[in-house]
Amino acid sequence: MFEISDIVAAYGQIEALKGVSLKVESGKITCLLGPNGAGKTTLMMTIAGILQPRRGSIRLEGTELTGLTPARIVSRGVALVPENRLVFPEMSVRENLLAGAYQRRDRAGIDADIERMYARFPRLKERREQMAGTLSGGEQQMLAVARALMSRPRLLLMDEPSLGLAPLIVAEIFDIIAELNRDGTTIFLVEQNAHMALKVAHQFFLMEQGRITFSGTPGQLAEDEVIQRAYLGTRRAAG
Amino acid sequence: MRPATRRTVAVLFAVAAACVAGGAEAQVRAKADLRCEQASEVLLYDCTVGLVDSRTNEPLTGLAVTIGADMPSMAGAHSVRPVVAAEGPAKGTYRFRLALEMHGDWALLINLSGATRDRVVKVLRFEDGRVGEAPPPRR
Amino acid sequence: MDDYTIGVLSNIGVVSFVALSAYLLLLTGEISFGQQAFFAIGAYAAGIATALWGWPLALALAWGALSGGGAAVLVGIPTLRLHGLYFSIATLAFAEMVRILFELFRYQVEIDGELTGPSGAEGFRNIRYIFDHNIDAVQFLLLIYALLAAALLGFVLLERSRTGVAFRMIGEDATLAGLQGISVARHKVLAAGIAGALAGVGGGLYAHLTTYVEPRIFDVMLGVHSLAYGLIGGLGTAFGPLLGVLIDIGLLESIRALAGYRMIIFGGIVALLLIVRPRGLLDERTMHGIGNLWRRTLLRLRRPGPGPGPGPGPGPGP
Repeated sequence: MFEISDIVAAYGQIEALKGVSLKVESGKITCLLGPNGAGKTTLMMTIAGILQPRRGSIRLEGTELTGLTPARIVSRGVALVPENRLVFPEMSVRENLLAGAYQRRDRAGIDADIERMYARFPRLKERREQMAGTLSGGEQQMLAVARALMSRPRLLLMDEPSLGLAPLIVAEIFDIIAELNRDGTTIFLVEQNAHMALKVAHQFFLMEQGRITFSGTPGQLAEDEVIQRAYLGTRRAAG
Repeated sequence: MRPATRRTVAVLFAVAAACVAGGAEAQVRAKADLRCEQASEVLLYDCTVGLVDSRTNEPLTGLAVTIGADMPSMAGAHSVRPVVAAEGPAKGTYRFRLALEMHGDWALLINLSGATRDRVVKVLRFEDGRVGEAPPPRR
Repeated sequence: MDDYTIGVLSNIGVVSFVALSAYLLLLTGEISFGQQAFFAIGAYAAGIATALWGWPLALALAWGALSGGGAAVLVGIPTLRLHGLYFSIATLAFAEMVRILFELFRYQVEIDGELTGPSGAEGFRNIRYIFDHNIDAVQFLLLIYALLAAALLGFVLLERSRTGVAFRMIGEDATLAGLQGISVARHKVLAAGIAGALAGVGGGLYAHLTTYVEPRIFDVMLGVHSLAYGLIGGLGTAFGPLLGVLIDIGLLESIRALAGYRMIIFGGIVALLLIVRPRGLLDERTMHGIGNLWRRTLLRLRRPGPGPGPGPGPGPGP
């Protein structure tokens, strides 16, 4: 169980998170929806330890994560696939994967995991000696996911994995998310593409202006009229 | 340590030891008196250096003297090809002609070899038609 | 070899240390205009050690490295919290401060009947170690290059180590590196310390090579050049900055026809390369390509047959 309670985070005077609480159940996919500027990325950066919250607590299986350095949080089993800054562009695909395993010392296990990533993402295998910066957007996203998995996380955080990708690639990424979850990875996902998220996630939260304004199952989400209009669209889906 | 590292460290120590083992018997230290004036052309200077033993004030004769020039404001660059000085008529004086790249403060490195090995450094300010002591830079 | 060639080669060797120093910080993504300060600290520290305290050269150079590295760590702890341009400006300000402090620094002792030691703006003459110990120019040249070779070997080992991989990751994206579990602040201070020590060794060698130093030598020109060497030569390998030094001092400075135009050409090269090859001639991609080619050739030599297999590749170390 991953639990966030009453997190307040601010940039100077501006409070981006105004007391956020939510729970992510182990073995499930939990999705956080919300418009731009709602504070979703701020929440992810706070969980990862890049930003320090003013108040509140973040616990993974009962262990407090607030106040720890990003390095310590990784060693507690949390890996973040950040938005936009996906890969180390001047390093090869293989080196990027090794980067994800930075805190691990088991050489044999790392090599085995790299082979597993190659099996799961055959395109990364084809391009293993290529510089990551030369990959396509979808391939970079896959590499970012694979790199995060290299740390063998108990909780995988993903910040808008579908951002800027073509619909076909988005579908592929969501297939991978569902597959990772079937293999037992707990996933906490930030998404604006509610349609895709509805197909895979077990639990939803909606965040608006730094507060959680809805929580529920996919069924409840689909029934809620306000969300229907704002996030699923009456005409066509919002991006 | 890997073998390659170990080998390199060993070589370094050997070089360092060779440097230290040079022995430090009292060497003659030279004192120089340097005068320069502009020659027929701009940036061309005729100089005379008088060399004496700093302890006995005896003139130092029969040495091979070469002069290098460096601009302190641009270390390692703007260096002028060393010129060889010819022994002058007066005892312990040597004369040379210097072709500089630009006006300004130059550090002249007066290298002595032969019976005495030494280097004396003089910083002079070379200007159009005038050569003088380089005053310390303004702060 | 004539004296001039020996002199130019010695200069190339000594300046390479400052270039490597700036390069190491470039690797971690920091642009420092202040590495000449640690060069200066190393030069004064090592010069004082031999000329005033009578230390052997090896110990004096180590002391120069320690002083440069120590000063860099002390400066690095507060300044590395600054980002990008702010860090660069802080390094520039610090280096100018150090230079002005050396203009005020007087510490003279009577040696052989003559006052010896740093004397403010007039400088520090008579760092006579190589003359007192009969080390000729060629021997000193060999010492410079032996130490440079050791520094390069250190870089090769560093780039294969976990620490080296961490430096590179931080240089590409410090936040992303942090997310992989690297303690960014600690690695940056470590890099600054090593860079300061490298500059310090270079300074110690420089002081004994020329036998005199003065504060003017360590002005911002030296820092800007050191930085430019890495940017010209390439950030993909430690041989990049050396290539930069070679191009500047070896080529531009030594070809007399170019005399006087050197700065113009140098500036032009820097500007041109920043546009067409922002990470220098020997950049990461070039080095990676060379690495792949090399591995494939080795593989083909080892077991003749078609197909490139997976290379061993530099891992994050044991």
